[in-house]
Amino acid sequence: MKTIDETRLRDIVGERNIKTDPSDLYVYGSDSSVHHAMPWAIVKPETTSQVQEIMRYANEEIIPVIARGGGSGMCGQAVPIQGGIILDMKGMNKILEINLEDVYCRVEPGVVDDDLNLALKQYGVFYPATPASSRIATIGGEIANNASGVRSVKYGATRDAVLGMKLVLPNGDLVTLGSHTRVEASGYQLHKLIVGSEGTLGIVVEATLSFVPIPEFRCMGVANFDALKDAGEAIGSIMASGAIPSMLELVDDVAIKAVNKTMDLGLKEVAAALIFEADGMVKEAVDYEIDKIKKICEKHNGTDIHASYDPKERAKIFMGRKKLFPALSKYDDNLASTSLADDMAVPYSKMAELAGKVHEIADENNIVMTAYGHCGSGCMHTKILMDTKRKDQWDSAKKAITQVYDYVRSVNGTTSAEHGIGISKAESFKIEKSDSLSLLAGIKKAFDPNNILNPGKLAQAPENWVTATNLRYSVNS
Amino acid sequence: MENKRKEFKNLEKWQDTLANCIRCGYCFEHCPMFKHTGWESDAPRGKIITAFGLLTGEVEPSESAADKMFSCFYCKRCEAACSSGVPLTEIFTDARKDLVEMGLKGPGTTSITELYCARCLLCVGACPHEARFYDGKGIATDPAKCQACGICLEVCPAGAAKIENDFGTGRDDLIERASIFLETHESAKAIIFACNWSYYPGLQASVLPESETKEKAYEILVNMCGGRLEAHLLMAPFLHNAWGVMAAVCPDDECEHNGNLRAKKIVENLHNTFKSIDIDPERIQLVQIPAGDKTLFQAEIDTFVDKLNKLGPIR
Repeated sequence: MKTIDETRLRDIVGERNIKTDPSDLYVYGSDSSVHHAMPWAIVKPETTSQVQEIMRYANEEIIPVIARGGGSGMCGQAVPIQGGIILDMKGMNKILEINLEDVYCRVEPGVVDDDLNLALKQYGVFYPATPASSRIATIGGEIANNASGVRSVKYGATRDAVLGMKLVLPNGDLVTLGSHTRVEASGYQLHKLIVGSEGTLGIVVEATLSFVPIPEFRCMGVANFDALKDAGEAIGSIMASGAIPSMLELVDDVAIKAVNKTMDLGLKEVAAALIFEADGMVKEAVDYEIDKIKKICEKHNGTDIHASYDPKERAKIFMGRKKLFPALSKYDDNLASTSLADDMAVPYSKMAELAGKVHEIADENNIVMTAYGHCGSGCMHTKILMDTKRKDQWDSAKKAITQVYDYVRSVNGTTSAEHGIGISKAESFKIEKSDSLSLLAGIKKAFDPNNILNPGKLAQAPENWVTATNLRYSVNS
Repeated sequence: MENKRKEFKNLEKWQDTLANCIRCGYCFEHCPMFKHTGWESDAPRGKIITAFGLLTGEVEPSESAADKMFSCFYCKRCEAACSSGVPLTEIFTDARKDLVEMGLKGPGTTSITELYCARCLLCVGACPHEARFYDGKGIATDPAKCQACGICLEVCPAGAAKIENDFGTGRDDLIERASIFLETHESAKAIIFACNWSYYPGLQASVLPESETKEKAYEILVNMCGGRLEAHLLMAPFLHNAWGVMAAVCPDDECEHNGNLRAKKIVENLHNTFKSIDIDPERIQLVQIPAGDKTLFQAEIDTFVDKLNKLGPIR
């Protein structure tokens, strides 16, 4: 561990914006992932110039700097695996401009997604690339991980919404990337490269985002299935049919049981259910999409298919999906919900097979896994429910994850759809991108020659995530 | 993780529950402390992580760690929001009991008693948590029992009961913030005091652009409980040309501290005072909002501002 010049950091951000007490450092050593590692200091800059000064200091002294938003990342992106300074970007929380004429807004990175949408709502527009964690996730964190969510099937992921940004480089220089226009063909689209770079290339201090009109009509429905395979095949058929759902979510029996246990939503306990939504400015057009989706579900043996425009009914259905991740930890009192292989994507035609594989692999390894997610955009979420005190459960989890990823890559899928790589998924990521790793290393070197920005992540992440950092759980030997 | 566990005989039973917290952070937006300081270590999740660290031995039982565990207003909104079902405040209380045994007592949000206390014992009788007692010399507080509800502050005739670390919910802070808003916004008309339990509308952790806020008619300021709305606090905005003041408290049967009933009484008294000096008493309004009903809260605010627009400024 290097000695941090606390006085210099205090001079930069002020006394109230720095923490170095071990009990504070411990809290900032973890996020929503399974990992934990201690930082050396936490600073909360409030201005771009403070970020620049911190980076100049860190670059001179070769000290790792890890930007952090809400701390809701699931793969350990914000866990300081090599120590260093945590930049708590929640201190930069201003919505700078809502420009209705040019259809963009400018925000600082610490703005919380739900807050942005609340500010936009009064103008009849919304920011659609919203993840389930929108009540805590910051725009900066969403950019770092190319976050997406339930409506990304129609409206795209964070990368699609980012028009431009201001970025502080490791040497403290400030650069403006992208523009305020919807299209750009002026050379490399570096702002798009920064999206998903997990804080390894620069610190985003301002983002320009597009937004879209809130549709006049939204209709949401549910279809139940007695076989997971049928539900998986229905997803492929819906997407191949040309239908444009604004949401197409799969939940399996484990997920349904967990939601019912936590909330009184009365979901029917079947093998799988599809939650679908269509939206638009013309009701007949929404009806058309909903009818099309319903017919396809029927064809694939869907039962109890119903849909509603009623906001209360829609809110009830959506709440179950939105709170699914926390609800999973209530599935069994002895099992904790862990985020490991949790957001792979496969081509639509392989969705049914992947869902089946997840359950098959779980049974084989004697652990509980759930399959759910934004299947309309090809993303399948899984969570591993296990007794985190038992080392053998971690070994089984590791084996199961390897098997899941082997399958995903074998069908031309990808390791991460929206949560990023961090530490947890680096092993599969490196296999998947093996022929372009040298290119990635070259890009990293060009931006960050001293390797101070979030080192030890993505391609630099250690091979064995179980032992690479402390797990945040107490594991008996 | 190396096991360096110390004696945490009360906290120990929560070990599995602490692992069940999936650290989603959905509790952040409900915590007045996190929203005041912005530090994750002040948020409910941060305290759960600290408790876990204390139990595993990764966090030393220090004054700093204890200060976090002793800082909580027990509004329990984090618990209501936690779909993992973690009973956060029970865990905090058990951690407190163990820390007290180790000689670590905060201060955190524990109420204290100044030397000029008259020892009238009113606070001892009024404390719903049996946290205040006479120790033979003066009034003391059991830091494991104190839930920082502030009732002792309200009943103390000498003003000797205090919560030093009030995270922006203290009278002086609220008066200062009200005056800043009223003096810096030409369009300012009202101050809305919102009991934290009623979960106020608006942005929770971000700031709007200046262009959006310069025409703002009202400011919402969070106090911890209606019971702490003193007449002095409710009247202060009028010294800075407020047109009206609204106090939002819980419905009749929903306040654990009966603070809503005390607030009602205070507002009634102020109505009488206003009448006696020929000022429309409707300029001070009390509304009762069920926890979490932001829609109703916003509607009440809008109606109140409309009413003030009709009344105009106080002449």
